[in-house]
Amino acid sequence: MSTGTRDYVEELRDMDNSRIGLYAVLLFGIVFYLFPVETAVMTMFKTQGEFARTLPFAPPSGDGFTLSALATAWNTLRPGLLNSLLMAIPATIMSALLGSLTAYGLTTISWRGQVGVVVLIIAGIFIPYQAVLVPLAQFWYQILPGLLNGFVNTVFGFVTGGNWTYPSRNGYVQLMQLSITHAAYGIPICTLLFRSYYQAISDEMIEAARLDGASAFSIYRNIILPLSLPMFAVTLIYQFTQVYNDLLFALVLVNEPAAQVATQRLAALTGGVVQSFNTTMAGAIVAAFPTLLVYIVFGEQFAKGVAGEN
Amino acid sequence: MREILSRLRAAGGGLRSAISRDESNGDQLATDGGTTVTTAGDDTLRKSLPVEWELVESAPFWLPPVLLAGFFVYGAIAWNFLLSLTDYNGLGGATYANFDFSMYARMLNDGAFWHAAQNTVVLLVVFTVLCLALGLLVAILIDQNIRFENSFRTIYLLPMSLSFVVTATMWAWVYNARSGVFNQLIRLFNLEGLLVGLLRPAGVNAEVIQWLSWNTTALAAVIFALIWQFSGYAMVVFLAGLRAIPQAHYEAARVDGATTVRMYMRVIIPQLRASAVSASVVLMVFALKAFDFIYALRGSQPGANMDILATMMYRVAFDSLQWAYGSAIAIVLFVLALLVIGPYLYSEYRRGEL
Amino acid sequence: MAQLTLDNVTKTFQDDDGEIVAVDNVSVDIEDGEFLCVVGPSGCGKSTTLRMIAGLEDITSGEIRLAGQIINDQPPARRNVAMVFQSYALYPHMTVRENMAFGLEESTDMPDSEIDERVEEATKMLGIFDLIDRKPGELSGGQQQRVALGRAIVRDPEVFLMDEPLANLDAKLKAEMRTELQHLQEDLDVTTVYVTHDQTEAMTMSDRIAILNDGILQQCATPLECYHKPNNLFVAGFIGEPSMNFFPTTREGATLRADRFEYELGDETVAAVSETTNVTLGIRPEDIELADSTAAPNTFEAVVDVVEPRGNENTAHLQFDADADEQFTMTVDGMTNLTAGQRISVAFPEEAIHLFDTESGEAIRNRTLDDIETVESVV
Repeated sequence: MSTGTRDYVEELRDMDNSRIGLYAVLLFGIVFYLFPVETAVMTMFKTQGEFARTLPFAPPSGDGFTLSALATAWNTLRPGLLNSLLMAIPATIMSALLGSLTAYGLTTISWRGQVGVVVLIIAGIFIPYQAVLVPLAQFWYQILPGLLNGFVNTVFGFVTGGNWTYPSRNGYVQLMQLSITHAAYGIPICTLLFRSYYQAISDEMIEAARLDGASAFSIYRNIILPLSLPMFAVTLIYQFTQVYNDLLFALVLVNEPAAQVATQRLAALTGGVVQSFNTTMAGAIVAAFPTLLVYIVFGEQFAKGVAGEN
Repeated sequence: MREILSRLRAAGGGLRSAISRDESNGDQLATDGGTTVTTAGDDTLRKSLPVEWELVESAPFWLPPVLLAGFFVYGAIAWNFLLSLTDYNGLGGATYANFDFSMYARMLNDGAFWHAAQNTVVLLVVFTVLCLALGLLVAILIDQNIRFENSFRTIYLLPMSLSFVVTATMWAWVYNARSGVFNQLIRLFNLEGLLVGLLRPAGVNAEVIQWLSWNTTALAAVIFALIWQFSGYAMVVFLAGLRAIPQAHYEAARVDGATTVRMYMRVIIPQLRASAVSASVVLMVFALKAFDFIYALRGSQPGANMDILATMMYRVAFDSLQWAYGSAIAIVLFVLALLVIGPYLYSEYRRGEL
Repeated sequence: MAQLTLDNVTKTFQDDDGEIVAVDNVSVDIEDGEFLCVVGPSGCGKSTTLRMIAGLEDITSGEIRLAGQIINDQPPARRNVAMVFQSYALYPHMTVRENMAFGLEESTDMPDSEIDERVEEATKMLGIFDLIDRKPGELSGGQQQRVALGRAIVRDPEVFLMDEPLANLDAKLKAEMRTELQHLQEDLDVTTVYVTHDQTEAMTMSDRIAILNDGILQQCATPLECYHKPNNLFVAGFIGEPSMNFFPTTREGATLRADRFEYELGDETVAAVSETTNVTLGIRPEDIELADSTAAPNTFEAVVDVVEPRGNENTAHLQFDADADEQFTMTVDGMTNLTAGQRISVAFPEEAIHLFDTESGEAIRNRTLDDIETVESVV
């Protein structure tokens, strides 16, 4: 029922009643889906006394209005925001790029048995991350430092004097570890998104390029990559949201307080004993701000990413 | 009608003749992926390889990322399983010796584990079913050729773009016993006494509903908030499914005499089965890992009412440093996820959808 | 079964650029049991007209009456019409049996046993009884089409509406189904409105043809009337394959001057033309005759450009001169051989020409039908 005209005779006759009812329900839907956000926005501008007194979704009255909650939240979260962005942006770009390359090698170029690899990749989207947490912690905190220490001190011993240790407690190193982890775990979903996109690209165009003598790399660079730009938009937007919003990996891999990402800081703020909701609401809005902005501007792409995961 | 059909019979039922000569038309050839277009030159090299040339030439593209993801995913899971067989706990490195299933035995005897498992299953089932229902309803409403359709869709999907930490923070305020939205509204309509009486757990004296503390309401409150966040996803999936149904089906049903409700029940919704299946797979897997939300709400010790396997695993491993035990719980989670996605992926593979 | 009347039916759409008139004041009376084909080029409004009869589009102005009752405001479900869609619109999750039973279940109180009986009899008549428990996805295009037909037949409606039902079939099957559909309609004696863009279907299957162009009804008459006595240029050019040849001329007295030739009119014809000066001369390819020479009046020399052999006949594309731009077509018997480049003489017999007013398009004079031969039956 998605054509431009709506010419059902009965609809014309009953238009007043059932259409009005429809829009009423839809408007209620808006209230339903937005009220937590709306109350958060209202509350973050209220003083402590004010939000205890008034209805949460009502705006603050004259002297109940304050910006101090927002200021506090901003101060607490700002480093977190920067850390999140610092970590998320490279991870997203890496995932998207690797996803595109993988999808190309598994879709546009076809070879026998590739479906098996595809199945393994797609299954990787659905694993609960709990199943890899302990090994991850082990890897980044025990195994990798052990290996690198050994390697660097042996090979470059003349420089380090055998004293180099992997800087596990360095905030930037931890963020980098988190970034690489997200990049790796983002490959399956990005591959899936690009794969459905590449499946729709005409085989004949690729075959024509083959007959013209193009190599696999040349086809990727000159045909597939330029055509992929819309899908890159979708993948980047969607994956950025997923990576930025993550808490679990950050908890495990980042323990330097200075390096904590936005989600961690917000969780700390909320879990605090003092229940100053105006601060926590401000914190929630501040932490959500980058993804909200991305969503408002690129909502279409995000929706496509959501649908594509299907 | 009878006279008509008997007249037809008398006339010889001529349409039968058309069948024997009817070749299948309109059937679509299934395209298989294999192309064998050869590159110019290079024949001897190509032919001397033990494997397909395409595999070799595509390898630089997919092999490194696949190895990377494979290590982080499957390597890590295998490692996890290995760890679950050890006794690793506390600080320091793991000792890879004394492999046994003692962690699993401990798990099966642990009351907390069973409680968390029960909560997990309840969450999984209730959340998935209600999310699908709400998503379907909203999708049908949005599909009614309304104006501002894009705006409605964008707003309904907005919760999906937020981190669970953000939404947990907001919902903590909504559920706040003293001044949260729900309780204030309930107070406003003078329903507080009634609802407190209804929802209060036995033996608890209270005047306000403590949504997140009472064992009667805690899990439901979490599920409700998660449905709020995720029904937009179900809506998107069902909307795509609805759009794939040709307009002619709606029209044919109307001309055949069906009312709107009957049309949806008998013609439209049954055709959404595929959308429902794939959406529920994603929803169920998500429910298994709903850690972020509960952690942000109550920390790693959310209490027995809200404890699910995901939070228990984190607590056991990272708070108590019982690494091996945590790994065992994680394996259980993994197996549960496998039970959900395994059959689904297999049937998709068999149908050639992959 | 009932008489179906379209009375000044008009349909307008609102577009970004303004108003579009899809159907413009169309009036047709359809008799009980009649097979009416609605034809026209893409976008002429024929599908819209059909959908208005079904109730899938509402009517901007005018009335549609079924058995004397105005049905403008009745929803499709209550009109007791059955429709066969171009895409068949079979419900993919239901078997053939369930597809065909659906309409009866939804619009009548018939007991299940009776519904089952009807459905089974219909499938036997259509020759698809073996397929009754299969799903549409397992059927070929031709079989699906028959299920769509069965779904309509089983409802025993007042009117059958068919929206280009043969469009998706290959040429051979199409030809066979045309005959079968005709038999079916005659036996069932149901009023049928059949939309198509294929004028061969219209010619062969219908009792009458309604020709639409740009939403306006051009002519509503029997196939042979439309063929031999077209109302205007559009009908003349639309009906008939290969189409009628048109030559724009200026009349001077009793002579029509065309670009490359002159045509002498007889007295009767001149009288019919009366004052009109811009006259288009039309003649069908099969009416052009081969002549021995250009001695007789209204014979001309022409050069053969391309010959399309069809086996039963040959279609020759001719030009008045080797370097002329314009071509006209002539049809000759399959055993008559013409070659490209050949110079021949052709005659345009006066009894076979059609004359049209170039500006208005209206027909001034159509061919005479005196030379129709009636064959005597053998007793």
